[in-house]
Amino acid sequence: MPDLNAGKSQGVLRRGWSAAVGDYAIAGGWTRGGDALVVGDSAGGVHAFDGRSGASAWARQKAHDGGLLAMAIRPDGAAFATAGQDGRVLIWSVAEGRPSHAIELAGDWVENVAWSPDGRWLAASCSRQVHVYGADGAEAWRSDDHPSTVSAIAWSAAGELATACYGRVAFFDGSAGALRQKLEWKGSLVSMALSPDGDIVACGSQDNSVHFWRRSMEEDSMMSGYPGKPSALAFDATGTLLATGGGSAVTVWSFQGGGPEGTRPGVLEFHARSVTTLAFAGRAMRLASGGRDGAVVVWSMQRDGEGAPIGAAVVADVVAGLRWRPDGRALAALDARGGVTVWRTA
Amino acid sequence: MNTFQKIPVTILTGFLGSGKTTLLNRILSEEHGKRIAVIENEYGEVGIDQALVIDADEEIFEMSNGCICCTVRGDLIRVLGNLMKRRDKFDYVLVETTGLADPGPVAQTFFMDDEIREEFSLDGIVTLVDAAHIEQQLGRSDESTEQIAFADILVLNKTDLVDDEALDGLEIRLRDMNRMAQVVRSERANLPVGKVLNLSAFDLDQALERRPTFLEPEYPFEWTGVYALGPGRYELSLAEGPDPSMSLVAVSGQGVDDAALREGAEWCVRRYAEPAEPVRPGEKIIIGKHLNLQLDSRGRKSFFLETDTPARVGLYAQHTAEEFDLQLSSAEGAAISPEAERTWVAQHEHDDEVGSIAIERDGDVDPEKLNAWLSELLRERGVDIFRMKGFISVAGEPRRFVFQGVHMLFDGQPDRPWGDMPRRNQLIFIGRNLDEAGMRRGFDACLI
Repeated sequence: MPDLNAGKSQGVLRRGWSAAVGDYAIAGGWTRGGDALVVGDSAGGVHAFDGRSGASAWARQKAHDGGLLAMAIRPDGAAFATAGQDGRVLIWSVAEGRPSHAIELAGDWVENVAWSPDGRWLAASCSRQVHVYGADGAEAWRSDDHPSTVSAIAWSAAGELATACYGRVAFFDGSAGALRQKLEWKGSLVSMALSPDGDIVACGSQDNSVHFWRRSMEEDSMMSGYPGKPSALAFDATGTLLATGGGSAVTVWSFQGGGPEGTRPGVLEFHARSVTTLAFAGRAMRLASGGRDGAVVVWSMQRDGEGAPIGAAVVADVVAGLRWRPDGRALAALDARGGVTVWRTA
Repeated sequence: MNTFQKIPVTILTGFLGSGKTTLLNRILSEEHGKRIAVIENEYGEVGIDQALVIDADEEIFEMSNGCICCTVRGDLIRVLGNLMKRRDKFDYVLVETTGLADPGPVAQTFFMDDEIREEFSLDGIVTLVDAAHIEQQLGRSDESTEQIAFADILVLNKTDLVDDEALDGLEIRLRDMNRMAQVVRSERANLPVGKVLNLSAFDLDQALERRPTFLEPEYPFEWTGVYALGPGRYELSLAEGPDPSMSLVAVSGQGVDDAALREGAEWCVRRYAEPAEPVRPGEKIIIGKHLNLQLDSRGRKSFFLETDTPARVGLYAQHTAEEFDLQLSSAEGAAISPEAERTWVAQHEHDDEVGSIAIERDGDVDPEKLNAWLSELLRERGVDIFRMKGFISVAGEPRRFVFQGVHMLFDGQPDRPWGDMPRRNQLIFIGRNLDEAGMRRGFDACLI
């Protein structure tokens, strides 16, 4: 295992640039194919950096009074949405650096935002409801109250909106709002990932397990034995691998053949403390993991879930998020101290 | 890399109308230099600008962790999870529960969720009690009973609406239910903020450093009278009573407010622990000594008390003044009424389902036997055990073992070496319908 010093990087991670935002870097993403990286901090600031140099393009403080909670980049990369403790959703133009639309919700925290794959719809969850808006910020529909606060949302490629809360996952018709499917399981679901074809939905549960359903076959399974709650989950682009946190190891389940039921997962050990975030590169079998130990690791993965570290670096604090540039040639890490670190990848 | 202090969290519980919001506003205005986040489950009238007030829907759910199943507060996990991301912005978190809340799930959240455990420390549970209405509430609802059972601090509020005798009786009842909690009295939640914040009640090492016991004392005296006396000689006379003798400690410079009486009581508990000096009728009462008045002769008996300077003298008597018709009079024979009076005795007249069991034993325990006994106890009776705390002397272990728990959740570790301290065990359980004799037998069987 390589010995790492803060700021040093090894293997495929080549130093690119670094910058800082005002507080815990809570969310972010690459826009317009990687021209810019936008980052939101927990004090409510929104910052845009030039994707290649890291120079500040623009910054807005206190966009969300009380703090920013979530951000989502529109698939075309020209706009993004933020949400916060002020109960508002803002839609921003990347080029102008200011919100083009402001949406007021009920006054509770807005904890999740997500764009539909075609970019036509923006979903936001607030307390027990999910709201869907058009690109102009006009509300298309909103759900009835869920049984408890919505903890995660995701869109399938087919344009369905999935919501997770205590005890169930629900699928809605993304444009009309009809409830299409309910998958019930008694547990507090804290995270959710959909396979690219939308058939498999996986959730991390508060009681240290991962629960998943194959929607077409109406089957479900539970993977237990995690030392902590799996709050980080990621599917690769082919839907073969599901990487999960829930401890200091990255546990990777392979859906090839009849798996993952009855198979042993790949167990990727490197982090000294819990894994906080996971991201697959859009192409190639590369997985990036970040942890409470501040380590960022890039793994070369096999289809059976085994993997080997091919690059590593350390940032100043807990890794809050990892974002691959759409071309997979750069990786951005957001950390709890407000650090933004970008590496080029070989 | 995270070397920061955990953020302390205080849970405020109490029935509707008990004064939670008043206390909350008081804390926020007195602690104005600090950034405090308040998590509420019902709209209160918190009107302080610098506090972040978060309204969250109370979401209770069951979760299992191995073989242990318990309820936690999902909303707290989410809200605290987001608050911890702005850690430099907050010094303190207050969680105000609804009047009807069971404090169990709130407390258990701090044991069950690892991320919360890592960033926050549960500082204490403060329960406000409406002195005028609690008797009715205790009869009607399990929640108010549980709120009392879970408390580290019981604030007996609205004392101006109830007479002193009723307050004493109420305090006795509350202390019977929860012998771990400190009871403080207030009129409009006007108590020093230091009484309710930064208690470290769940940090047993610190708690034991401040006070070497988890138990609030059971007072060995039943009555205190405070008399304002000028210089001179006074006669203390007693009629025939139920016992042939009575212990007494006289304190000079005794104040008359609740805090001063308690302080005097704590001091007298220690005097009472010393051997008593017999005093016969006609002899002098020495201030500050544990005395045993000899009362076995017939008729009224007199003792003498002298003071050179004007002083308030507190008499801490083993029995109430009524039982022996205790009277103090001047040299001229004029009766003197006490300036303040209070009773302390645990009368056990209330038969509450919820009570405290304290086990105190010298000697060492066999760790395997203790583990087996505690595991079985928590498995079978965990639902009915609200809180437990204790320290144990484990055979062959040079360090004291401290533990605490909420329902089935148990947390323990060795702390400091015993050194010169006498090795002993103290365990306290607060619960519903606990079998005291059975638990004592069970623990005794673990002793070596």
